Amino acid sequence: MSEIRTFPDFLKRSSIVLGVSVLFIIIIFGALIYTIPAVSNFKDVLLELIGINSLFFKIAVFPGYTWAALIATEIIWFERKFIAKMQLRVGPLYAGMVGGILQPIADVIKLVFKEMISPSKSDKLIFYSVPLLSSAIGASLLAVLPVSDGWLIMRSDVSMLIVFAVIGFVPISVLLAGWASNSKFPFIGALRGLHQMIAFEISMLIAALSVVILSGSLDLVNIVQAQSRIWFIVLMPIGAIVFFITLLAELERIPFDLPHAESEIVMGHQTEYSSMAFGSIQLGTYIRFYALSGIFTTLFLGGWYGPQFLPAGFEIINQIEWFTLKTLLVMVFIIILRGVNPRFRLDLLLKFGWSRLLILAFLNLFIAIFILQMGWFPFTGGI
Amino acid sequence: MNYVFKLFSAIISGIKHLFMRRLTFRYPNQKLKFHGDGYQYDPKEGVGISGYRGRHILYLEKCTGCSLCFMMCKGISQAIQMIDLPNIQVPVNKKSSFPQIDYAKCVYCGFCVDACPFKALFETNEYEMVSYDRESLLFTPEQLAIKPKYKGTYEIKYGKRGAYHG
Amino acid sequence: MSELTVTVGPQHPGSGHFALIVKLDGDKIVEVIPDPGYVHRGDEKVSENKNYIQNIPHFERPAILDASNMLFPYVHAVEDLMKLEVPVRGQYIRVIMAELNRIISHLYYFAIYGIFVGHSTMFMWPVADREHFIDLAQMISGQRVGFAFLLPGGVRNDIPEAVKERANEACNYFEKRLIEYERIFMNNPIFEKRAKGMGILSKEDAIKLGVVGPTLRASGIKSDIRKDEPYAVYDKLDFEIPVSKDGDSWARAWIHIEEMRQSMSIIKQALKDIPSGPVKLNLRGQVRPPPGETFTRAESSRGAVSFYLISNGGMTPYRLRMITPSFRNLRAISHITKGLLLADLPPAFWSLDYWPVEADR
Repeated sequence: MSEIRTFPDFLKRSSIVLGVSVLFIIIIFGALIYTIPAVSNFKDVLLELIGINSLFFKIAVFPGYTWAALIATEIIWFERKFIAKMQLRVGPLYAGMVGGILQPIADVIKLVFKEMISPSKSDKLIFYSVPLLSSAIGASLLAVLPVSDGWLIMRSDVSMLIVFAVIGFVPISVLLAGWASNSKFPFIGALRGLHQMIAFEISMLIAALSVVILSGSLDLVNIVQAQSRIWFIVLMPIGAIVFFITLLAELERIPFDLPHAESEIVMGHQTEYSSMAFGSIQLGTYIRFYALSGIFTTLFLGGWYGPQFLPAGFEIINQIEWFTLKTLLVMVFIIILRGVNPRFRLDLLLKFGWSRLLILAFLNLFIAIFILQMGWFPFTGGI
Repeated sequence: MNYVFKLFSAIISGIKHLFMRRLTFRYPNQKLKFHGDGYQYDPKEGVGISGYRGRHILYLEKCTGCSLCFMMCKGISQAIQMIDLPNIQVPVNKKSSFPQIDYAKCVYCGFCVDACPFKALFETNEYEMVSYDRESLLFTPEQLAIKPKYKGTYEIKYGKRGAYHG
Repeated sequence: MSELTVTVGPQHPGSGHFALIVKLDGDKIVEVIPDPGYVHRGDEKVSENKNYIQNIPHFERPAILDASNMLFPYVHAVEDLMKLEVPVRGQYIRVIMAELNRIISHLYYFAIYGIFVGHSTMFMWPVADREHFIDLAQMISGQRVGFAFLLPGGVRNDIPEAVKERANEACNYFEKRLIEYERIFMNNPIFEKRAKGMGILSKEDAIKLGVVGPTLRASGIKSDIRKDEPYAVYDKLDFEIPVSKDGDSWARAWIHIEEMRQSMSIIKQALKDIPSGPVKLNLRGQVRPPPGETFTRAESSRGAVSFYLISNGGMTPYRLRMITPSFRNLRAISHITKGLLLADLPPAFWSLDYWPVEADR
């Protein structure tokens, strides 16, 4: 072998090939558009199908799956570097030009080359359907996120119910992963995961219910529009804290990562997964992380409202930008909490979830009803 | 309420560390500096001279072949064996027997240096003994006589924003 | 749920080099039977074939974390039989190395405690801070882990000039770090809820089971060999012994932090008061105690370590018996884990500071 081929080398070569071919297509197509009228019609039809205002673009590229997958991948890199800086060390360093920024992509490529094994007595159909379920849950939550006033993927009258219905699938996926693996440690992890999620979902629902009462509709876009003057986190701080804590429990992040507690039950319900099955589960987890942080921003932090610092024609981009910024800030705060806390124990967690959080959630509900009855909050009823 | 204050102070402590300097140092590009020239022993006084205990250095012209280092290492890790090298003629060494050290077994305790009464065996700063096979870790007396070139310049320094390697 | 027998065995991320046979009822522990002996190498028998100086790297290996503390009773036993008088500067240097070892070992305790509880930051910080003290120990003795620094008759070499200033800087830096440890780990409400009231060892039980070390002091009994039967120059130094009345896992962790503070104060005092002079007696390699027997003890970072030496005048010892503190604390594992949840088993047995290699020898 004459030279050592490294990953940056591969990227350079493949990007040259891709760039040249794209340039070629654009030049040929552009030349044809201005000469042959049939091709010009074709261009209009094409733009309508996959152009920037079409459903395909919104679902697949931005703010849909590709954007979310990109954020999920780079949040993994950011989390590793951030936690490393808090622990006085360097994180990934050598993959990519700037401080290991291509490390998650290198990890995915490594995972693709591994072998997919499953335990011999496991139920293969259910075992291999769990990664699909996990990615599907993350992706369907993305569909209702209101990134801006007019330009979003889907708007319906009952978006809040859609969110909670999809979140209800998460314990099912945990249980299926643990049961189908047919082994001791995943089983214990799946049972712990079920206990934890069921205990915290009720408080999440009641905290979200108080937001719905104050804003008067189940539509996420209306909820954001109701916060045009004051954010709900100022009116109902207790509700925001309760929703935040239950968010951590639904995502199984530290301090609530009991279902995959590494020093006791190796990896919990995901122990027996390898190669891209594992990769899909992790991707689904991080997309869910992004989507639920987006829901928190919508409900409590005022959605897309923010001072306009772009010139007058670019309102939509301004709104998208503020939404993304607030979501990323919520994610950074969750990452800080990971670096600072140990893990909860099961009985303390259940005691916390069923008694203290539930009381706080109901207290918040009464405060919301009180504010509504006194007429202090001006927006009642949806549009 | 007490819980909230304590949790908050834990979070503030974590955030404070985002602005401190890292302690990691990047190994192949940055190497540690050791004080002194390696562990040596003065047989007249009977005390050692402080230094890092790494690879040994054998001064062929002083070694008499008394094999005291071999006898000391026999009870510790059997890393030293005496071999005959007839092509090296040293006036004080009648039988031309010199020690060879197997670094796959050596524990770097330095008692062989303490045992030598002729100041012929010292230890140096070099510790990077890696190889692809076991046989090349057996250093013959000629290999031990070459002085290693180890140069390290980084050490722990205490600054205003924490400790770092500089 | 019926009763389940699980082996939290040697190949498990939550145990050391030994096995625990756990009888479970659902998630609650009914009984724990520790199963040591995986690392038994016959250290005491092997030592009968090595002479007294070759035994020095041998006896520091069982508990390589605090090597110098393990060698203390051995060198005292040999000096006792040979009736040697160690020079004062040598004794001060021995005390400095012993206290550095104590800090190094306690920091490792916190690192593994952090992992078992799930706190990854508490794993990284102590391991980074150990680097300062390992660097100091390397300047003094020449090696980072296996020092082999104490000899019958003194220490092996004198300390270089740069140690004093570096030690003062390191101690000042580390005292500020201990405040951060308290904020992020000891006073963290989640850790407090997990560790307070868990694995309680009462005062009567501690005396009945015969535990030693920080475990004993956390149950309310003020006992430390450095104060009760002072050896080296501990009677000339001014330090205190932390005691706690609770006896739970939080109190045991707290005692380790307080002991680290006292160790730093001992190091600073010793570096200030150290006299000049020789550091070892020149025995010309003849270490051969006359026939007799003796028993010596010292306080290592895990508790009381003791040596019983019988010599018959030969080059090698006739019989050497070594009792380590982890072996004495072994009985307490099955006592404090009754009624705990399975998730608490690794933090509970690690808070007793049990080191399997030392207990098996």
